Amino acid sequence: MLNRTVRKVAVLAAAMLFAGGAPAQGVEISFYYPVAVGGPITKIVDGLAADFEKDNPGVKVKPIYSGTYQESVVKALTAHKAGEPPVISVLLSTDMYTLIDEGAIIDWSSVAKSAADKAWMKSFYPAFMENSETGGKVWGIPFQRSTIVLYWNKEAFKDAGIDPNQPPENWKELVDYAQKLTKRDASGNVSQWGLQVPSSGFPYWLFQAFTTQNNVVLMNKDGTKTSFDDPKVIEALQFWVDLSRKYKVMPPGIIEWGTTPKDFFERKIAMMWTTTGNLTNVRKNAKFDFGVAMLSSGKRRGTPTGGGNFYLFNKSTPQQQAAALKFVQWVTSPERAAQWGIQTGYVATRPDAWNTPEMKKYAAEFPPAAVARDQLQYAVAELSTHDNQRITKVLNDGLQAALTGAKTPEQAMKEAQREAERLLRSYQRR
Amino acid sequence: MSTRRNPMEPQGLGHALETLGAWVLALLWILPLAYAFWTAFHPPEFATRFDPLAPLSLQNFVNAWNAAPFASYFVNTIILVTMILAAQLVLCTLAAYAFARYAFFGRDVLFMLVLVQLMIMPDVLIVENYRTMAALDLTDTITAIGLPYMASAFGIFLMRQTFKTVPKELDEAARVEGASALQVLLKVYVPLARPVYVAFGLVSVSYHWNNFLWPLIVTNSVGSRPLTVGLQVFSSTDQGIDWSIITAATLMTSAPLLIAFLLFQRQFVQSFMRAGIR
Repeated sequence: MLNRTVRKVAVLAAAMLFAGGAPAQGVEISFYYPVAVGGPITKIVDGLAADFEKDNPGVKVKPIYSGTYQESVVKALTAHKAGEPPVISVLLSTDMYTLIDEGAIIDWSSVAKSAADKAWMKSFYPAFMENSETGGKVWGIPFQRSTIVLYWNKEAFKDAGIDPNQPPENWKELVDYAQKLTKRDASGNVSQWGLQVPSSGFPYWLFQAFTTQNNVVLMNKDGTKTSFDDPKVIEALQFWVDLSRKYKVMPPGIIEWGTTPKDFFERKIAMMWTTTGNLTNVRKNAKFDFGVAMLSSGKRRGTPTGGGNFYLFNKSTPQQQAAALKFVQWVTSPERAAQWGIQTGYVATRPDAWNTPEMKKYAAEFPPAAVARDQLQYAVAELSTHDNQRITKVLNDGLQAALTGAKTPEQAMKEAQREAERLLRSYQRR
Repeated sequence: MSTRRNPMEPQGLGHALETLGAWVLALLWILPLAYAFWTAFHPPEFATRFDPLAPLSLQNFVNAWNAAPFASYFVNTIILVTMILAAQLVLCTLAAYAFARYAFFGRDVLFMLVLVQLMIMPDVLIVENYRTMAALDLTDTITAIGLPYMASAFGIFLMRQTFKTVPKELDEAARVEGASALQVLLKVYVPLARPVYVAFGLVSVSYHWNNFLWPLIVTNSVGSRPLTVGLQVFSSTDQGIDWSIITAATLMTSAPLLIAFLLFQRQFVQSFMRAGIR
């Protein structure tokens, strides 16, 4: 403790010495990051920080592992309320309104003012920026972002007499293929399901793929209104429910997100929907030939984006903010974005990252890596509103009630909408 | 029936049913642990397939050990639980002694306030506790993880109830012999409450060994984080769960507790029973 006080005094003294002098001297930026994919992510992040420090002497980056996304936002907001938040943090893109409402973050546009900075903020895929801007300001910088894609087992396709290189193009084909792929024994027990769309944890995210494909959006741009009871939303939910009820091609009840890839490896399912973040995992563990495709289209193609953005917390000093900007620009540069995408399986966040030699080589060796990128043109923003945690919970509960058969899709969505309107009323008046 | 039997001991069908019940419960209890053992010691391909001839492997443990600095997490956790338990034992004993044997102004109100603490989930207080730790300049230290738990309401309540059951005559006899208040506490009350201390120690150590959210939030660096925070690296939500590595890591981190329990099992069970009889 004494040691720490001494260090603080020293830092303070140093700050006074350098005040007005050269910027970014002896600046420390703390940086919370969650881990959401397997592999030695903590080591990759520590490596990034060390590389940056080598290129930028005088700036110290202190990465702090902060649990899952949920735990990270709790940790960041708790620290914010106690007056010692991190300088930057990677948090879900959907936490944007919550962080703004809490007064925890400042927009990047107020720090990144030069022409080069402005060009940098425009260099990301527009689909990723949908969740990163509001009111004409940029609040989040895309970092570890993903979309949902379809994985299919080519061997199972061959066995069922389907062309193994033709993934289902639309909902009709999806049902049709899944029916052919579902294997039942004489007594009706299923040994292989046609399709699995996980519904535990965050079913709203997967549901958004169905609604987007049915050509309807779940919320307005300001994050103050939801449209859960739109007839097209109910229709989309009906389709999801029908996959197990009517067509009997998907296991009934709630499907666990975490074990779905395992079911795929074990050939218990022939097709699955899951994040592109799983690509490296599937590549390593699938013992059969598999394919990756865009999700089948309903009225149109569609998927939500997902994942985390960089946020800038507002209790930092101008020097820290300048250093943070430098770090985030460095870590999202085309080369680094490509490297991060290859190491983790996330989608590299900007078009020019795909033109780097490493990425070109990777995409040539492993074409599925580019599927998520090509799907981005059809992608929409992940559900994000004010009071986001509670709104998504309302929707999740409704979805699960419909999937387990406790409520009809119509009843579940009407009730969810009523509850969401109650929660959002105070934000609409502003 | 002519032979003398313990009237409480079930006979015939009752006995068989009770044995069967005990076995079923024991099997259900051991099943997750047995699964963890199976998965941890076999390559990932066998995580969900049972094959008695599957090759054994320690690779999962190696991978888990290398994924996070578990050695320092172990040290931190041990320091943490020892520190908390030591502080709890001292504080709770003194407080409970006062509540049990001294009449002073406001005693019942104070005791009620202590009991109120039992009804509040610690998670609700995270922000306030964090503010306090920040004000004390203690964030990111092991002390900060332990401090909010040291004055344990449960411990005070448990010890007070135990001390109340000690016959007053023993207390008076000791005082007649010239023992001071502190001597009476140490020579009469504490030895008689030993089984309760063991039981409380077990509950406290296992709770703090497993505590997760508060340590994650209040600490930032490897130097102060406990095992549970290190374990969390493996629950990769975006990607599904690698059972082999997670079970290996779980076994590794819970091994000290499991081994300690097996070694001292008899003492633990006995002390719980005695504590219950009182």
